[in-house]
Amino acid sequence: MGAGIAVLVVALAALADVLAPGSPFAPVGPPLSPPTTTHLLGTDDLGRDLLAGIVHGIRTSAIVAAGVAVIALPLGLAVGAAAGARPSRLDDVLMRFTEIWQVLPRFFLAVMVIALFGPGLDRIVIVLGLTSWPVLARIVRAELLSVREREFVEAARATGSSELRIVWRQMVPHALPAAVAYVAILLAQVILVESSLSFLGLGDSNQMSLGYLAGQAQRFLRVAWWLWLFPGAALIAMVLALNLLADAVNDRIRRAQ
Amino acid sequence: MSARYLVRRLIQVPPAVGAILAVAFLLIHAAPGDPVLALAGEHGDAAYYSEMRARFGLDRSVPEQFAVFAANLVRFDLGTSYVHGRPAIDVISERIPSTLLLTGSAFALSTGIGIALGLFAASRVRRAGDLAVSLASLSLQATPSFWLAQLAILALGLAAGWFPIGGMTSARSSATGLAAALDVVHHLVLPAAVLAATELAVVARLMRTGLLDELAQDYIRTARAKGLSELQVLTRHALRRALIPVVTVVGSRVGHLLAGAVIVEAVFGWPGVGRLLLSSVQTRDTPIVLGIFLLIATTVILANLATDLVYARLDPRIRHG
Amino acid sequence: MLRRLSVLVWLVTLASACAPAASPLPSSASPAASPAASPSAASSAAAAGGGGTLVVAIGADPGHLNPAITTSGGTHTASELLYNGLVGLDGDLQPVPELAESWKVEDDGATYRFKLREGVTWHDGTPFTADDVKFTFEEVLLKLHSRTRASVAPALETIEVVDPLTVVFHFKQPYAPFLQQLDVTEAPIVARHVYEGSDPVENPANLEPVGTGPFTFVSYSPDEEIKLARNESYWAPGLPKLDEVIMRVMPETGSQVIALEAGEVDWIWGVPGPDEERLDADPEIELLRTDRNPGGSNCVMTISFNLDRPVLQDLRVRQAIAHAVDRQQFVDRVLFGQGRVAEAPISSGIPWAHGTSVPLPAFDVAAAAALLEDAGWKAAASGPRTASAVAGVEDGTPLKLDFLHFPAFGRYAELLRTQLAEIGVDLQLEPLEPPVFADTVFKARDFDTNIISYCNGLDPEVGVRRMFDSAQIGPVPFSNAAAYRNEEVDALFTEALGVVDRDARGEIYRRLQDLVVADQPYVWVVETTAVRAYRLPCQSFVPYAQFAEAATCAP
Repeated sequence: MGAGIAVLVVALAALADVLAPGSPFAPVGPPLSPPTTTHLLGTDDLGRDLLAGIVHGIRTSAIVAAGVAVIALPLGLAVGAAAGARPSRLDDVLMRFTEIWQVLPRFFLAVMVIALFGPGLDRIVIVLGLTSWPVLARIVRAELLSVREREFVEAARATGSSELRIVWRQMVPHALPAAVAYVAILLAQVILVESSLSFLGLGDSNQMSLGYLAGQAQRFLRVAWWLWLFPGAALIAMVLALNLLADAVNDRIRRAQ
Repeated sequence: MSARYLVRRLIQVPPAVGAILAVAFLLIHAAPGDPVLALAGEHGDAAYYSEMRARFGLDRSVPEQFAVFAANLVRFDLGTSYVHGRPAIDVISERIPSTLLLTGSAFALSTGIGIALGLFAASRVRRAGDLAVSLASLSLQATPSFWLAQLAILALGLAAGWFPIGGMTSARSSATGLAAALDVVHHLVLPAAVLAATELAVVARLMRTGLLDELAQDYIRTARAKGLSELQVLTRHALRRALIPVVTVVGSRVGHLLAGAVIVEAVFGWPGVGRLLLSSVQTRDTPIVLGIFLLIATTVILANLATDLVYARLDPRIRHG
Repeated sequence: MLRRLSVLVWLVTLASACAPAASPLPSSASPAASPAASPSAASSAAAAGGGGTLVVAIGADPGHLNPAITTSGGTHTASELLYNGLVGLDGDLQPVPELAESWKVEDDGATYRFKLREGVTWHDGTPFTADDVKFTFEEVLLKLHSRTRASVAPALETIEVVDPLTVVFHFKQPYAPFLQQLDVTEAPIVARHVYEGSDPVENPANLEPVGTGPFTFVSYSPDEEIKLARNESYWAPGLPKLDEVIMRVMPETGSQVIALEAGEVDWIWGVPGPDEERLDADPEIELLRTDRNPGGSNCVMTISFNLDRPVLQDLRVRQAIAHAVDRQQFVDRVLFGQGRVAEAPISSGIPWAHGTSVPLPAFDVAAAAALLEDAGWKAAASGPRTASAVAGVEDGTPLKLDFLHFPAFGRYAELLRTQLAEIGVDLQLEPLEPPVFADTVFKARDFDTNIISYCNGLDPEVGVRRMFDSAQIGPVPFSNAAAYRNEEVDALFTEALGVVDRDARGEIYRRLQDLVVADQPYVWVVETTAVRAYRLPCQSFVPYAQFAEAATCAP
């Protein structure tokens, strides 16, 4: 089910421009109007359609999540595979390094980067991507460690395959489920961090974001409950979907063992 | 735990702190513009900048700069905040007690409720109660804290009127002593509850899994055979071991709680370090942002250290390592 | 196990509290801790203040409490109750005695002689004298208060202290608007014995102010609250009535309204449009509408063009943008009706000077698009226009402008972005907090466009001249942001200054406005009005300056 929601979200994100053409920032209706047939989720104080805002906000969340995945996955897989493929100095170095890297508080690091470099989606993606790959590397390494002495790997070695091939073909695929499960949880956290930053006004003011919408709702809590409800609901749906996905994958792994 | 483990673990702390300092230092120098602007904030005057330049040795070579930087920070010297006109460390430390109150309460609440919920779920495994707890945990973990905070304000603050919706104290109250403390507690309920809510799911899940794992062990069957009630089995035997995984995540929980505190303080107007961080970022008051970052990072490192040490006491396998 | 948990918590506590709080905490946050609260409590029992406590919500932490070194609204809101000007200005903008008991205008307006009130003391007991006035002007206002500095400084010759209660201002030429610039907003008087010999910006008295005003300083917890107490020896008999004023920092206007309705606060400075109707209907709440604000009056939301940027040097581009701005939509959507469309560069709050012979560019998207095409900015299939044979700009450059604004003006920014998108201008928003904004716009001049609430004051010389005078281009915040240079305009300002007859002056200002409208260095969008709200039984407020001087909260 989690996968289902995730696919829906990705589709929504991709189709944002079709579903809600025009800028989500444009005033199109009466201010602070509750959900009606013309504005399914209501409007904000400038008369902007909330549904359009949410669809574009979902797209921004998806972009940030994808960006982080693009940075963290290759790095995590590569370094984790290198460390776990066989015992070496690299393994020790990596372990020390990731232990230290892990304690960096991600949210506060992102805040400091924004303080020094100014707000922007690219900064958030880079900071979150660069702080996330170490844990992924550890997971990949752990998976590889459990596999490297197994029979099928020995068999592959016996047939004379190159080390690289063995790692790539035999061992890494074994690590993928755990990696996917971690990445799903990671992306859920990334979405929450980005929305929190936007909520606080530290996000990119030229991109529509669900956190930004939630922040705008603060002033009108009393008179416009829809401004509070729907952006948060969208976020909950996305994060829930990713968590469920991770759970499902983890269940699969556990059952396979 | 053995002395060797203790020493080994303690030795890991300075390099971690050093890494944090290095990251901060690198970021400051990578930021666009003159490093003194990044370090001192953007609206000082010439006198202020030359003072900051001298204090942080910015006209020396880069490795020397790092040495000066690290030395200053170890002495808690962050320079002066131009916005506040006082040493940054003073401004920050004024706010620590209120944030400590908030996060401490949230930590206690989430741990207590989380453990209780985990116990409850494990005792009703795969029945309605367990499913309800699972559902609640899953939803809470997916909920952004600002959404929950706004919900709390809407429902319990505005609609029901049970709790104040902002601040740490009532504007009019000139109460002292116990009445003042109670006023603060009254203001504390909503923010602490919201902050605890997103955390207790983690504890509940871990508690449940840990208990279930323990309950499957042989010695439990022996205990049951001996005629102990289910409750006694749970609390006297399984609980202790099952708490171990809960303890191990304390370090990461502290990090989450502090990040959540920034949001909760912003929504509820709680006058703590989180709100200070926000206003300092907005006014580009870098000494304070830097100070808070380092404070939080160091707290997380120490929390991890404490967790590891406690875990080592609890887990018999490490005890003799 | 419990023991272990408590060790854990203690370690975490230890870790977090490790940063030395060795220096004693100033102005502690806990309500019981302010030691100075007791004198006022004791004295209100002894004397007959009896007006009770007024709780005020303010939108931002003021940073400091010296209104003489800044025109920032936040600081003025929090501190004007602590000070006085030489005169006050009543509802008709006519001067009434404050620190000055009487005055004489001599030499057709080139000399102003003030007889100061006797028996006024500073909050620390030191007598107030003419030396304080001379010092305040020379060392503080004329250097640091942007409006007074821009208008009075170039015109003033000397300040003469004749005796401890008489001070004379000698101007180089007749200076008509002087009396309108002497209230607590434009020229608060600070204590010489506190500030002499120090840098007014750094002086710690900015955090523990000593003034002559109706209330004295008790405590200041940054980002939380400011406490003021009744000035027992205030020079106005029977005033103030209130015993205590507590100002609470509440950044969210929504929370302020909720707090007002719940009775947690008694006075808020601004009611958001959507809440106005509901509050008006509430029998316990009264509203006050005004154009006068702490920090400035008759404010016009003004978009500035940085004339140093090649893109904006073409008049057609500026006019196109002016045509693309739908000013009425700002009044409707952003102000919810609390304001008016700006019809001329000078606010309609100064009716004798307001007006042009030609109206401001009307909202006309087609005209705007045509102007941009003419200027070489060709429409693209999607996205912003691109340059084609535009002076100083490479061909193909997209028409992207950055737009700096206070976060509080975010709504203006977003609406403008949408309106300009209609003509193919890509507006990049940059919200900046006031201190950073001031530095970036005025010190570094690093911006394309921005929006500023330029408060005209009660006379064009006060708040209008600084926007257009070429001598006011520089690092002082809220001066000539556009870097507009026009000798004719400069000359007209100087001419208007010396003319005493109001109608004749008005003519000159109207001629001047025609010139600046033709040059379009700014786009004048809307004139803002403030709606204040307070809770009964509190009453007898004025909506500006020392707003609570005569107020009482006792039924």
